[in-house]
Amino acid sequence: MSLSEREKERYRRQLGVRSWDQERLKAASVFIAGVGGLGGTSALYLALAGVGRIRIVDRDRVDPSNLNRQVLYGEDSSGCLKVDEAGRRLSEANPHIIIETSSEPIGRESLDRLAAGVSLILDGLDNMEARFALNEYSVRHRVPYLYGAVCGWQGMVGLFHPPVTACLACLLSSEQEAKPEVPVFGCLPGTVGLLQATEALKYLMGLEPALLGKLLIYDGRDMTFDLVDMAKNPACPVCSGAV
Amino acid sequence: MVVFFRAGSELRHKLQPDVDFYTRRVETQAGKSVKDILRDIGLDPAFVAFIYVEGKVKNLDYVPTEGQSVTLQPPVSGG
Repeated sequence: MSLSEREKERYRRQLGVRSWDQERLKAASVFIAGVGGLGGTSALYLALAGVGRIRIVDRDRVDPSNLNRQVLYGEDSSGCLKVDEAGRRLSEANPHIIIETSSEPIGRESLDRLAAGVSLILDGLDNMEARFALNEYSVRHRVPYLYGAVCGWQGMVGLFHPPVTACLACLLSSEQEAKPEVPVFGCLPGTVGLLQATEALKYLMGLEPALLGKLLIYDGRDMTFDLVDMAKNPACPVCSGAV
Repeated sequence: MVVFFRAGSELRHKLQPDVDFYTRRVETQAGKSVKDILRDIGLDPAFVAFIYVEGKVKNLDYVPTEGQSVTLQPPVSGG
């Protein structure tokens, strides 16, 4: 997929980065589940980088409590559908790409439509039920799933690509209780969302993602990064049957 | 036998570190799982989503050896 002169000028500073493949990015498509703190940050930088097609899905409306961390929204966005506001902001940020939006709830059935045909799933969700639905879709369709999550001072990011790697259900139990609203300071989802965006760009350009089968755990209070290997669970209820 | 439990910020106040800001020294019997040791020190295993030891994720049935450092990871679900 060739670049116009205008695009070459827009991307000039990154075209010189070793191994960068702008045409491959232009041909890529990403599904971003949730455009809050994580997904909004990732979406903005993937759009600026020139990922050709970005599909954003979120059923929520902007709430004043989002504004400490969700960079796509402002005071005027209160009450608006996030995907409408995010879609407008992303199209303004880069008119050379395609932004697709949906406010349909993310679930096992809707994902077959919402995520069809994408190269990568990026997790910007705030609840575990929808994450496990994403994970199942990833296992079923062999689409890599770039996981991210935050709470308090801690965040984590990892890339699942079963059957090559473990899946989310190898790591976490779906029965685990999750808090309905977790405390989070503003910079944290920005940091984690940018780590997700970095891994996404590498994967989409065909470069080896550093977090394939690994989890990077960031603690903003201690300023530590732990990188750990995620082993496949032979008894995993989701991916153990996948070959 | 001694093992060291280390916890991130959201679990830290429950772990009650005594070695440094992150770490608690625990005396226990060889052969006990992390889940059992957590119960012995009064920390509900339900607060721990997974653990990692020497850079590898383990489940709570993992049996630590003398002097090992075990990092406890709480559930992290926000976005």
